[in-house]
This record gives sequence, C-alpha cells and structure tokens, in this order.
Amino acid sequence: MSTTTAMSTGRILAAYATDIRFELTKMLRTPAFALPTLLFPAMFYLIFGVLIGAKNGPAEGLGTFARLTVFGTMAPGLFGFGVSLAFEREYGTLIYKQALPMPHGSYLLARMVMAMMFAAIISTLMILLAVFAAHVPMTAGQIAQTFLVQVLGVLPFCALGLMVGAYASGQAAPALVNLIYIPMSFLSGLWVPLQFLPKFLQQLAPVWPSFHLSQLALGAVGRDQFGATSSHVLALLGVTLLCFTIAMRKLGSGGMRLLGGKSTSGGTVSFARRVGGLAAIAVSIALFVAGVSGGTAKVVAAPAGTSETASAATDAAASLPAGVPAPADTALSDFDHGSDRTPYGEGWHAGGDETRGGNSHATQKVVDGALVVSGTVGDAIAYPFAGTVFFPSGYEPGRFMDYSGKHTLSFRARGDGHQYTVAFLSGVQVDAIPAMVTFTAGSDWTDVKIDLDSLAALDRQRVHGIVIGSLGPPGDFRFEIDDVELR
Amino acid sequence: MSQTPLARLTGAVKKYGSLTALDGLDLAVDRGELLALLGPNGAGKSTAISILLGLQRPDAGSAALFGEDPQSLDARRRIGIMMQEVMLSPVMRARELLLQVASYYPSPYDPAHVIDRLNLGAIAERPYGKLSGGQKRQVQFGMALVGRPELLFLDEPTVGLDVQSREALWKVLRDLVHEGCSIVLTTHYLEEAEALANRVAVMTRGKLVAGGTVEEIRAHVSRKTISCRTRLDAAQIRTWPGVQAVGDDNGRLQIVTREAESVLYRLLAADTDVRDIEVKRAGLAEAFTEITAASTSEKLQ
Repeated sequence: MSTTTAMSTGRILAAYATDIRFELTKMLRTPAFALPTLLFPAMFYLIFGVLIGAKNGPAEGLGTFARLTVFGTMAPGLFGFGVSLAFEREYGTLIYKQALPMPHGSYLLARMVMAMMFAAIISTLMILLAVFAAHVPMTAGQIAQTFLVQVLGVLPFCALGLMVGAYASGQAAPALVNLIYIPMSFLSGLWVPLQFLPKFLQQLAPVWPSFHLSQLALGAVGRDQFGATSSHVLALLGVTLLCFTIAMRKLGSGGMRLLGGKSTSGGTVSFARRVGGLAAIAVSIALFVAGVSGGTAKVVAAPAGTSETASAATDAAASLPAGVPAPADTALSDFDHGSDRTPYGEGWHAGGDETRGGNSHATQKVVDGALVVSGTVGDAIAYPFAGTVFFPSGYEPGRFMDYSGKHTLSFRARGDGHQYTVAFLSGVQVDAIPAMVTFTAGSDWTDVKIDLDSLAALDRQRVHGIVIGSLGPPGDFRFEIDDVELR
Repeated sequence: MSQTPLARLTGAVKKYGSLTALDGLDLAVDRGELLALLGPNGAGKSTAISILLGLQRPDAGSAALFGEDPQSLDARRRIGIMMQEVMLSPVMRARELLLQVASYYPSPYDPAHVIDRLNLGAIAERPYGKLSGGQKRQVQFGMALVGRPELLFLDEPTVGLDVQSREALWKVLRDLVHEGCSIVLTTHYLEEAEALANRVAVMTRGKLVAGGTVEEIRAHVSRKTISCRTRLDAAQIRTWPGVQAVGDDNGRLQIVTREAESVLYRLLAADTDVRDIEVKRAGLAEAFTEITAASTSEKLQ
C-alpha cells in the first residue's frame, strides 16, 4: 500500500530545491528584510570606505572593507532566522509546516541557503565597490577568500538567530535582534577599529562571534589579525553548535522537530537525547572557550614577530602586544663593510613619497664606510618627504620592535647644510603624527644624539620604523650618516 | 482488502498540567467517510487532531495514520491539512503556495487543476497578503487538496466564507468523498455537519460521548417540539405529565416533550379547535446541546 506513497529521490530533492527557491523569493520580496540587508553594508562602505576613507591609504581601505563586509554578513542570518522564526512560531505557520510532509530539515536548510545567498550578494556588492569605487588593491585570491569567509561566516549568525527566534515572541524579535546586531558589531570593532574603544571593551571583544569573523575577514585580505585562524574557526564553530543546540532543545520541548525525526511520548525528552544535548552543549562551550582564549591569549600576551601573532597596526587594540624585544646590540650600522644592512630588521631603504602621490625620490649607496643619501624633494603634495628608513622588525604594517630598553639614538651626519629630520614611526595608529627631531647636516661630520625619553609622541614599545631624511624645502638634497647606534 | 482505519486513536490520553484534554479517546476514520468531529470549546477536538497529525504525542494510548506512526513522513504524504489559524507569507502568490506544498507529495495535482477546481483563477497570481479572509481560506483549502491526499483534515474550513463560496466548497467536499477521499471535519456550524457528514462524533471533556450517522445522533434525542395554536393556557399545559417546557411565540405555543404522542393526544382531547399542529424532531444542533449538556451534568454528579 505504501508503494503508492513512496517518494522518489528526485522528487524529494526537488522539494528541497522548491523550499530554497521560495524562501529566497519570499525574502527578496520582503523589503523590510531585503533592502537594509542588501544595501546598508554597501551604503556604509560607500560612506566610510570610499568617501571618507579613501585618503587613509590602501591598507586601511582593506580593513574597512573587511569589517563592513562582516557587518553585512551578520544580518541575513540574524534577521532571516531570528525574526522569521519568531513570527512563524507565534502565528501558527511553524505548526502548519511541521504537519505538512516537508522533507526532513528542509525548513532549516532553505533558510540557511537563503542567508548564504544573501551573504554572497552582499560580498559581491562590497567587492565591486572595493575594486571599482574605493580602488582597494585586492588579488583574485583575496577576493575568493573573502567570498568564502563571508558566505560560510553567515552560519554562526544563522544559529544565533535561530536561538533568538526559538525564544522571542514575534513582536519582540525584531527589536531583540537589532539589540544584538548593532551593539555586537560595534563592540567587535566593525564600526570603529578596536583600538579606539576603551580597553575593557577591547579585552571583551573575543566574546563576540563577529570579532572572530572579522579577524578571519581581515586575514582573507592579507591584513594582520589577532590570534591564529584556527582559534577563530574554533570559536565560531563553538558558537554555532551552542546556539543551534540550545535552539533545538527549546523548539523540541515545544514539539517542533525541524530536523525531522520523531519525538517520544508526551513531549518528554528521552534520557539518551538529553545526554546527547548536554554533551553537544558542553562540546560547543569547550570549542568556543578554546577559540576565545586562543584569541585572547594572543591579543593580550603574545609576542609579535611571528607570522600568526597579533600585531595589526590599525585594527589592533592599544592593549596590543609590545613589539619584538630589541636585541642587546647597540650598534645598528657603521656601513664599514660596504653594506646598508643592519644586524636585525630590514636594513636601510631609500625612498620618497610616491606612494602617497608625491614626486619626491631618493637613492642611497654606501661610500667610504658611510651611507650617502641623495635625491629631490618634490612639491606635488603637502608634507613631502625623501630619505631613508630603517624597519627594525619588518616593513609590513604592524611589525613592531620593543625599544623600551633603549634611551638614546646617536649617529654622525654631514651634508649640504640643509635641515633634516629623524622621525620615529611607532604605535598602532599609522596616520598619527610621528615623533620628530631635526638636525642640520653641515659640511663637517657632526654627532647627533636623540634622547628617546624626551619624545612624548614615541611609543617606544612599538617602533615600526626610523626615518632620516628631508621634509623640504623642495629641491635637491644630499646627506651622509654613519655609526648609527641605539643604546 | 483489510479495513485498517486510515487514522486511529486508541485510548489516547493527553494532559496539560492538571487539565485533561483527552481522557482515553478512541476514534477511527474509515475509508470514504466524512467524519464530523463536534464538541464544545475545550472538548479536546484540536488535541485529538494534532495527535493524529503527529504534532503531539499522547501521554498514554496510541495514534496511527495509515497504520504508521503519525510522525512518519510516509504517512503524512497521504494526508492534506487545513488548519484554523495559520499565517502564510503575505508576499507569496497563491499559485506559488500551492506549488510549494505540492512539491512535498509523491503524486500531487497540478496546481492549475486545483486553481480551476476551486475557481481561484482570479486570485492565483495575487500576493496572499492582499486576499480577503475568505479567499485566504480557499487558498488554504487548495493547499490541503493539492497533494492528492487520501485523507483530509479540515479545521473549520468555511469560517469567513460567504454563502456562495461555502456552498461551492461543500460541493467539492461531497465530490471528494464520492471519489473515495476521507475527510475529518471539525466545525462549529452544525448545519455544515448535518449537510455533509456520513458520521458524527461528539466529544466532551476529552471523551467520545456520542457517535453515529446524523440520523442516529438526532434519534439520540427523544425530545420533540409540538407547535400549535390553541386556546389552552401555556401555564396549564406546563403541568401536564411529560411536558418539559412551554413557550409562546406570537400566539403559537411551543411544547417541548419527550412523550410527544401522549401529549398530542391530550392536547387534541382538551382543545378540539387546536390548529396548525407541527411536530418537530430535534435537529443536530439541539441533539448536540442535549448530549453535551447531559455528559457535563453526569460529570458533575
């Protein structure tokens, strides 16, 4: 008799596909959902990334792009599950769907795929804006990684929304979801980079799932992230599993079987199922804690300098780790062997302001045991610069050296009689005005001594670069330095 | 072919805290019948249906759909459902809603067929949210029908329908039964049950208190009403043995009695001029009232 009711695999798959198609259609036709979800992230990115942020340079542009895309990714999961489920629970739709012979799990799958498709659309919009409007340099690999992180990253927020929807009333759900969405995205540094937030909020950040997703998103575009990728994935897995299990238990106690399966009599939960549920909760909490503490440990205490540690210059907290402890060497360069290398770090590099749109340039070579730097200071931009730079811990943004044990920078200099500047690039804020000291390079060798203790703008624990060069006036220049020491 | 009931509750008990919703209910739905499930609010009708749909489990006793667990998908692929209070997505069109539900069934009707049969052509492409209450009910009925079910559960299907739509829906229901479909109908409109049901089951307090054809249920009630014009005084008739009540309806007396024959005999003897005599048997509505009231007072004693 049941042969007539057997359903072919093809028809069952078609039923799943139909549910997905109609869920997507339904949400696209619901302006209260589709418009803010699809347009807000792009709109905010246009404002903060394209109109305001363009002058912050490509590195900061990538950060803004990654953070605001995460903001976009959170919404379809939170609202698509949270608000819809709460309404459908309250107004009998869920009971009706439960009574229909909908294939197992199709209700959840359709909403999940809908949220992932929305995330895909949002990511595509953001990538198009980043590449064509903000002109942020991104490789094809970074674009692909961003897409993957965002589309999968929607799932923890689906689970969180599911949990809210399992508890909240239809009336309360929209407000409740917004109360989670907006503060959480702010607190995890999506709006304002974390280092501008009070310290206790920075330390709290790893509690929010959006913090972990934003770190993965920053990693996807090649920006440094706090903590190892694996710890963020663990934390997100934990949150997903935890919220999902709690939601399923709540819905199950109300007789809802969204995954299919059968309930036992009287709505009581069998012992095995109860133990299973508790085990799932325990495992998910363990995963989350492992992920969070992994992330936290790196944020608070990890030494910088290795590839997986936290040291992002702009996204980092002020509670950022200090740079790599400086070696005991006091001599940096005496240029006696014809080389501009340094015992540690990246050596000295001549450069101008071309990357900022200027036309200043400089070259250097070692002549007779001294470094000769010459070039032209241009007039294309305000604050032109040309000279040489030493990066003690690597030239990528966010590479710092801890010079707290050093008090004096000294070297000998001579030159064309112009005034030159020593600038220290330090601290987490790339666009902050560096600590600067000037000296004059006359025709005779002169000793220059800089008392580091007296420089208020110098974050000695996080020195990124030491610059020696000319800030103008426009025109040709030439100077030599020798016997650079830090003691 | 063995006559396994399509749906069956056996000794079903369901309690919500101290409230007993089902108190050992036995109920079976046979092939090709339209069973009207009646009962006052809180009698346990909805609980009985929701257990048969697999939405709840009985605390004791058992439930089966086509001999299977009601929560099994195979069993539910043979039923169609129309619930009383369901909000469907206002942005989806009627045709899409039918298509979506049809996709859950092994060999459904073409939605176009259902649209045609229920005369929904004019509203098929309109968003569900823009439909009137009655139109929404018709779409929901279509969603119950589109899976080509062997058994239909209809909870108050005609609430909100105008007289014409109600008649049309009744006709579809009769045709369906004629085609071999079984229907379980809960309704507040006793005339609906009277017009459609092959069998009526009356529930109170979680139990079946009467069951049978409409005729049998009506016969359950021996009470009849004699209506006539007479010069006799209502108060006087009220004292006669067997008379339960006498009312005066614009000069027509309404004499309610369980012993219509003897009261009639005495009436004719007492007033040879008595005119316009009519003897009415109790309708389903009166039977229903009497049955449920009786079972309630039994309970109270």
